[in-house]
Amino acid sequence: MDVVWEDAHRSTYSGERLRWACPCAECRGEAGAPGRLSRVKNLAPEELRLQDVSLIGQYALQIAFQSGHATGLYTFSLLRRLCACEECAADRKSDLGPGPP
Amino acid sequence: MTLPSPEQVLGVLSHIQDPDLGRDVVSLGMIKELEVSPQGKVSFTFELTTPACPVRDRFKSQAQDLVGDIPGVTAVEVRMTANVRPAFMRPKPSEILPGVKQTIAVASGKGGVGKSTVAVNLAAALRKAGAEVGLLDADIYGPSVPAMIGSHAVPEQVNGRLQPIDAHGLKVMSFGLIYPGEQPTIYRGPMVGKAIEAMMVQVDWGRLDYLVIDLPPGTGDASLTLAQAIPLTGVAIVCTPQDVATDIAVKALQMFRKLNVTPLGLIENMSWYVCSNCGHRHEIFSHGGAESAAKRLGVPFLGAIPLEEGIREDADAGTPVVISRPESAGAQAFTHIASQVAARTSIQSFRQLPVINVR
Repeated sequence: MDVVWEDAHRSTYSGERLRWACPCAECRGEAGAPGRLSRVKNLAPEELRLQDVSLIGQYALQIAFQSGHATGLYTFSLLRRLCACEECAADRKSDLGPGPP
Repeated sequence: MTLPSPEQVLGVLSHIQDPDLGRDVVSLGMIKELEVSPQGKVSFTFELTTPACPVRDRFKSQAQDLVGDIPGVTAVEVRMTANVRPAFMRPKPSEILPGVKQTIAVASGKGGVGKSTVAVNLAAALRKAGAEVGLLDADIYGPSVPAMIGSHAVPEQVNGRLQPIDAHGLKVMSFGLIYPGEQPTIYRGPMVGKAIEAMMVQVDWGRLDYLVIDLPPGTGDASLTLAQAIPLTGVAIVCTPQDVATDIAVKALQMFRKLNVTPLGLIENMSWYVCSNCGHRHEIFSHGGAESAAKRLGVPFLGAIPLEEGIREDADAGTPVVISRPESAGAQAFTHIASQVAARTSIQSFRQLPVINVR
């Protein structure tokens, strides 16, 4: 998935990167319980392939994977933080240590 | 005498700056159909981004003066038109509001501050300026728009799609039209979202320059679902001047910021009252609260509306005050605010929106 932002910055995301960053409660955990992504080491290939992307309001994307998992709403600010380009990766290193896996 | 070239004409016109967009009108593409006749008559179309443009008259006279001063020009004809540009990201272009160019939400956080009155008059003022305008009453629990526009016509269905009703030249849809009378709508949150989506997807809005959306109060389930379901150009926040109202308006504004909906600015309603007996100006709910809150938050202050019996009477009688008493202070305040809102939404239409591609 490619996003060209308002400031013309371009970000490219692999399905794998997006899947491991899924912000939904099932994947991240809730109320102190660990989420699925902290329990599993591997995900099946169909979990990592994008099926569909839809816009939520003007602030987020809902990303559906081929496995049927579609509960994550990826806010634009999260997506921008996930940008994998060298420039953004370098910024992250200097800020807060490593970004999401 | 030599004739001026089109380039020469565009050259002088490029000295006109759009104060809101911060660029000159030529590079913004506002000058169209430029012609120079063999007799030295220059004619062109000046296409604004909104018919409610606050600097419309100034642009016209500036254009006439600048072109008229070019040697060889014998006459100048400026045709002022407007073409509202679309300004929001659409989830699925074919489904959601396909013919609507701009969506303006009117919200408040707090109830009872005159949100619906502002929404109805804002819509009516934009219509009077010459725009095609729709009004969506998104307050499922307390729809007030039908009473304020004086219509209880039942929307018709054509080919399975609901037709908005026509009132004062506005296309209107409200839950109060679908379920009229004293029957309450008793819905849980998710149902509200579905109802709102239906009013966008199943209603035949046609081609609109502006769809004004009267949102319910609150920053909870209803507003959140609305902000997710409706693609919004921006939101205008209404409040009354006293602290208890501005504090809640600020919360509403911050909620919309979190949802990436651009705040178009704050509107102060019930700002002052002029006594019809003594002529003295009373500031019943204090004054200037919205303006100072806007300054603090770094958003535009769009204007203040007086507390007038006429506004209330005309709302109860079903005619927006901008139509029934255009010369009143209240109507003029609404008209001023409408042009400010139109200017702010025009700025949004020049924003570069994110482009998302899935490979």
